[in-house]
Amino acid sequence: MIKIGFIVNPYAGMGGKVGLKGTDGCVKEAILLGAVRGSPAKASRFLSAITRKDIHFFTAGGEMGEEELSSAGFSYTCLYNPPPPLPGGDRFTTAEDTISACREFTKNDCDLIIFCGGDGTARDVFTCTGEDMLILGIPAGVKIYSGVFATTPESAARLLSSWDGISSTYGEIMDVDEEKYRKGELDTRLFGYAKVPSSKVLCQSSKQVSYGDDSRATKEIASFITEIMRDDTLYLLGAGTTTGAVAESLGISHTILGVDAIFQGRVVGKDLNEERILELVKDYDKVKIILSPIGAQGFILGRGNQQISQKVLDKTGTDALIVIATEAKLKGTTCLYIDTGSPEMNERFGDSIQVICGYRMAIRAKLAH
Amino acid sequence: MITKIILDENELPKKWYNIQADFKTPLDPPRHPQTRELVVPADLEPIFPKELIKQEMSQERYIDIPEEVRDILTLWRPSPLFRAHRLEKLLKTPAKIYYKYEGVSPPGSHKPNTAIAQAYYNMKEGIERIATETGAGQWGSSLAFATQLFGMECKVYMVRGSYDQKPYRKMMMQTWGATCVPSPSPDTNSGRAILAKDPDTPGSLGIAISEAVEDAATHDNTNYSLGSVLNHVCLHQTIIGQEAQKQLDMVDDKADIVIASAGGGSNLAGLCFPFVKDKIDGKNPDLEILAVEPAACPSLTRGMYAYDYGDVAGLTPLLKMFTLGHDFIPPSIHAGGLRYHGMAPLVSKLHADKLIDSTSVYQNEVFDAAVMFARAEGIIPAPEAAHAIRVAINKALECKKTGEAKTILFNNSGHGHFDLSSYEGYFAGSLVDYEYPAELIKESLKKLPVLS
Repeated sequence: MIKIGFIVNPYAGMGGKVGLKGTDGCVKEAILLGAVRGSPAKASRFLSAITRKDIHFFTAGGEMGEEELSSAGFSYTCLYNPPPPLPGGDRFTTAEDTISACREFTKNDCDLIIFCGGDGTARDVFTCTGEDMLILGIPAGVKIYSGVFATTPESAARLLSSWDGISSTYGEIMDVDEEKYRKGELDTRLFGYAKVPSSKVLCQSSKQVSYGDDSRATKEIASFITEIMRDDTLYLLGAGTTTGAVAESLGISHTILGVDAIFQGRVVGKDLNEERILELVKDYDKVKIILSPIGAQGFILGRGNQQISQKVLDKTGTDALIVIATEAKLKGTTCLYIDTGSPEMNERFGDSIQVICGYRMAIRAKLAH
Repeated sequence: MITKIILDENELPKKWYNIQADFKTPLDPPRHPQTRELVVPADLEPIFPKELIKQEMSQERYIDIPEEVRDILTLWRPSPLFRAHRLEKLLKTPAKIYYKYEGVSPPGSHKPNTAIAQAYYNMKEGIERIATETGAGQWGSSLAFATQLFGMECKVYMVRGSYDQKPYRKMMMQTWGATCVPSPSPDTNSGRAILAKDPDTPGSLGIAISEAVEDAATHDNTNYSLGSVLNHVCLHQTIIGQEAQKQLDMVDDKADIVIASAGGGSNLAGLCFPFVKDKIDGKNPDLEILAVEPAACPSLTRGMYAYDYGDVAGLTPLLKMFTLGHDFIPPSIHAGGLRYHGMAPLVSKLHADKLIDSTSVYQNEVFDAAVMFARAEGIIPAPEAAHAIRVAINKALECKKTGEAKTILFNNSGHGHFDLSSYEGYFAGSLVDYEYPAELIKESLKKLPVLS
């Protein structure tokens, strides 16, 4: 029997439909503008698509998950109840309710927390769980930039149904500046890396199959990258767990949310900003930049790693880029994106890009600007 | 308007064509894996019959095909040459497209052309059991078919990923009486060593070869058999090209471009070597001969021409060939038969001597072509064969641009009836376009054995 924490943000996604570009702190306004709830229906779609029976759910009361579980006929224990509304007043569930419920789930040794919401909900769940607990998102929010979401409620159910209870990978939690977003400006930064379940499924039903084991692929990528590193080249190592595996393979430390510089197997710059990168690359004839796509939407450049800027790429050349990602990660991303801030420079990358996905192995991935 | 060009059974070639006789400089000989000395026939005798060793080293231009072998080959040979009128019409090309169809054999590919011959020579020398490897299952099923015709046992080490995913090929082998085990297996030292290190490995062709060679070397009355790469395998396949030449003569046509897919090289050798002879002899000096490889495993296109092992464990002789390194395990493309790190030494030499050119293509564009071909011509091709189809279509489209009415010939080396799950993946949009990161790899090919 696996224990799943299940939580629904009942207001997720409402702001988007009425042009608010987010629902955090705007539920009342969204309702006044005529927004209707979408996430409860998505939560129900998820539950009705689950095929395994060995699940016991922990949940939060009322509209935070209990109603959907009850309708779907699953066995559950309600571990948290949001405070009731004051007489005559409105009381909408908040981020604090999400965090409190997740705290109860973790206290009760649940194996995985599944939440229905958007980037804000993901951030709230991660605030409570950190990297210790596996989480999985059912996409229901206005913004879905984090890499912890399944593509649909049904795919979340399929993943849960085939999950072995152990296999996991990492997904990015992205922090989107809501104020700027409402003004039409996308400003994202990496908030952290959460563990997400992965299914040990066959990558292809092919003549020669490989097994979609993310940790194995990550090790293979790291092994290949360390094999091709040259002593005359400075390497800028971007954020992420895949790039982190390269650092681990070299036996050096790594800034998981930032950019480090490596020369001859040693760290020569930690958590660099654009200015420090520009200073550093002046001293080296050859520079390579090793990056892994960030966020569920597949950004290689322009989201979360703005220190690898147009100015930096002007110095290094666009062919300095070495992109790495596991096949499992790419599978959920139909297209990769590059946004250097310069349409001209973006064009130089062409319409496809090589992504190292294993030992001496690459994928030609579609690229958009 | 002729569509099928058919030869009578009595026109089945009586000799194989040995291209070594027409080389201007000799082929670099194989070397012993441990001593690095030149391999002598005695080195190969523990695993190959004498007659095949003789063929491997022969400089005779033509070698007789035994009557018993020809008799079995008539079950499906001569294979038809088709004029792809409907494909030409679809492409609106002035080019004339012909294809030799090898999918008419009982196992459904060109592989039994050599399996029959190899089983025959082993039987003649009293061998009772043959061990081999198979990737996608085409070779394993062909050798199973051949050995049972001569009353021999057959053990097939099938790459584990395929074994799990290709139950029908496995059942074909069982139907023809062979024993098929997933590789790496606990049956051999090399298999056990790999399993101890990595119990979840999906296996590879290089690993399976190591196991089959070890099996043959350690069992009485057992020989090893390889479905591609070696000189005698390429020799046995030349029956394809010889038939195609006669068939083109029947319609008074002459090839301008000859195309075949290339994994280990035997399918390419089979169709192309007789045409290379025409090029060498000056009969058709401008003939373009193209090997088509997967972008994921482009040994001719992106590899190094060097001595390398034929297998992962380094048990086989060192062969001078285009290679991506014997420890390279190609990604999981659907054309499993093209996943080999090296290339036949004969094909490699012709490529090095610039008599054969090569190109590589991505998986999705291959299936685009396969589906287009199937809808025009009816035959659903194997993914391996579809590599040749892709480039044949590209060449025909070039002709459309230039207005040239070139004659294009390609080898449709097998049907895709056991590959429908690959087609399913293509239609679902889940096929991945793997490629070999050649530029980054240049520095890491230092693992090739160095010969002074």
